Amino acid sequence: MMRTMMRLVRQGFADMGLYPWVQVCTLAAVTLMVFLSGLFLITLVTLNHELGAVKGETAFQVYWRAGSEMALVEEQWGRLKNLPWFTGLKTFTPQQALEELGTRLHGKKASSEKLFPFLTGKNPLPATALVSFAPNEEDTERWLKETGEYLQNLPGVERVLATPLRDELGQAWRKAGRYVMWPTLAFLGLLLGLVVGNTVRLSLFARAHEIEILQLVGAPNWYVRLPLLVNGATVGLLGGCLALVLLRFTFLQVHSLLQFPPLFMEIRFLPLELCLALVALPTLTGMAASYLAVRGDPSRTM
Amino acid sequence: MIHVRHLSHTFGSYWALKDCTFSLEKGDFLFLSGPSGAGKSTLLRLLYGALPVQRGEASVADMPLHTLKHRQLPALRRKVGVVFQDFKILPIRTVNENIALPLEVRGLAPQQVVRRVRAVARALGLENHLETPCGALSGGEQQRVAIARAFVMNPQVLLADEPTGNLDTHLSFRLMELFKQFQAYGATVIFATHSKELMKRHPQAKILWLEDGAVRDANWPGARILKAPRHREREHGITLPPPDTEGGRL
Repeated sequence: MMRTMMRLVRQGFADMGLYPWVQVCTLAAVTLMVFLSGLFLITLVTLNHELGAVKGETAFQVYWRAGSEMALVEEQWGRLKNLPWFTGLKTFTPQQALEELGTRLHGKKASSEKLFPFLTGKNPLPATALVSFAPNEEDTERWLKETGEYLQNLPGVERVLATPLRDELGQAWRKAGRYVMWPTLAFLGLLLGLVVGNTVRLSLFARAHEIEILQLVGAPNWYVRLPLLVNGATVGLLGGCLALVLLRFTFLQVHSLLQFPPLFMEIRFLPLELCLALVALPTLTGMAASYLAVRGDPSRTM
Repeated sequence: MIHVRHLSHTFGSYWALKDCTFSLEKGDFLFLSGPSGAGKSTLLRLLYGALPVQRGEASVADMPLHTLKHRQLPALRRKVGVVFQDFKILPIRTVNENIALPLEVRGLAPQQVVRRVRAVARALGLENHLETPCGALSGGEQQRVAIARAFVMNPQVLLADEPTGNLDTHLSFRLMELFKQFQAYGATVIFATHSKELMKRHPQAKILWLEDGAVRDANWPGARILKAPRHREREHGITLPPPDTEGGRL
């Protein structure tokens, strides 16, 4: 029995060479489907990471009055770092802001005197700071109000904009994860299973004659199925692995593509468990499709 | 060995087989004859389980077909060898692989498989083609491969659906001798054919003449003969006598 089974497994591998074009086309279709699913998952993983990284974070954009004493402003920048729940500070002097503006407008870096000679000594831009916090307060609303008032009352400060948007976005994403992301992933899995399964089943039509003959000479179902299961699993496994290699290659080409302002997003590759799922799902689906392909008896009609 | 009682089969509203009754014992040789569309292939397909029994009863090699479960089909087919009109061989596999198929299904040891395949291939003049893919063989050679595949499993019952249709007269007669030899070993053989010459070469064989799906004549008492309705004869203006007869019994 074991000898027969081992022979059938070997035959399953060997039989793949009998219909090379069918196998190549099936492999290509499976690889493409897994690759597209992988791209979609990479998008989800990247979004999840970006929004997860800033969840609960709140930023205040602080504008000082134009022409404020820079020594005083810089002293306040130093004090901002001591505030509770402080996580980051990004500052712009009027000079830096003007140079940034020039760079954006002209597309090249140059001194503000060169770019805007008519503004020399008359820079209208204020000093600004983007202060980020990750508050862990029970009453976030009260903390937001108090911190906003504190910043507004700093000497020389003209205007303060609170940007709790990132927090809201993070919360929205968490809700989406609960109500949309998992069903989306489940749907993707189902779609992948159906497409890969049907592709493998279609490839077995080329062997329908062989299956019929095996059944006519008295082969039990397991005897007919085993080489086909090996075939289906191999195509699924190879397709999954090839798609992962292609995904990795594509990732290496584009992972820094979104590293520009204001996005500064780093594309993330799939975690190990998703990589394994992308290989396991087509493998199992290939096996299931092969199993179902012999469910009927082609040798028995009407 | 083969018992058929009131067996009928329809394809939609078309009656392919009507109330067919006959019995064959171990070692019997039956020529199944009749015009095209008479129901010969349908009867054979019913006997090897390719069609489910709709009406009537049948048993082959002690297996009742009318109560046969799907999972019991492999067991039936390991007792029944079939030679098909369209060969049903695998063209991309070699002669050796095709003939060995039923033996491998039974899990025979490789040495036994090789020995039996060679013996049958030699008997059928295929020993020089064992490693040739079947697709590269002529029609006659492919038919011999199909016959070898049925012989090699040493079945209790051998069903042959016009097995000599693609062979020349000399080879047909040679094959007829092999079928007779097979019968002599104790197998029950049903041989569907149009050829009167072949039937003459085995005068001891039983003959069943099918027409319009019904048994119209037979040369042994184990078969129940249904007479053709008279209105049909008037309608066509002719009668269709069985071969080698003048409209009477075989």
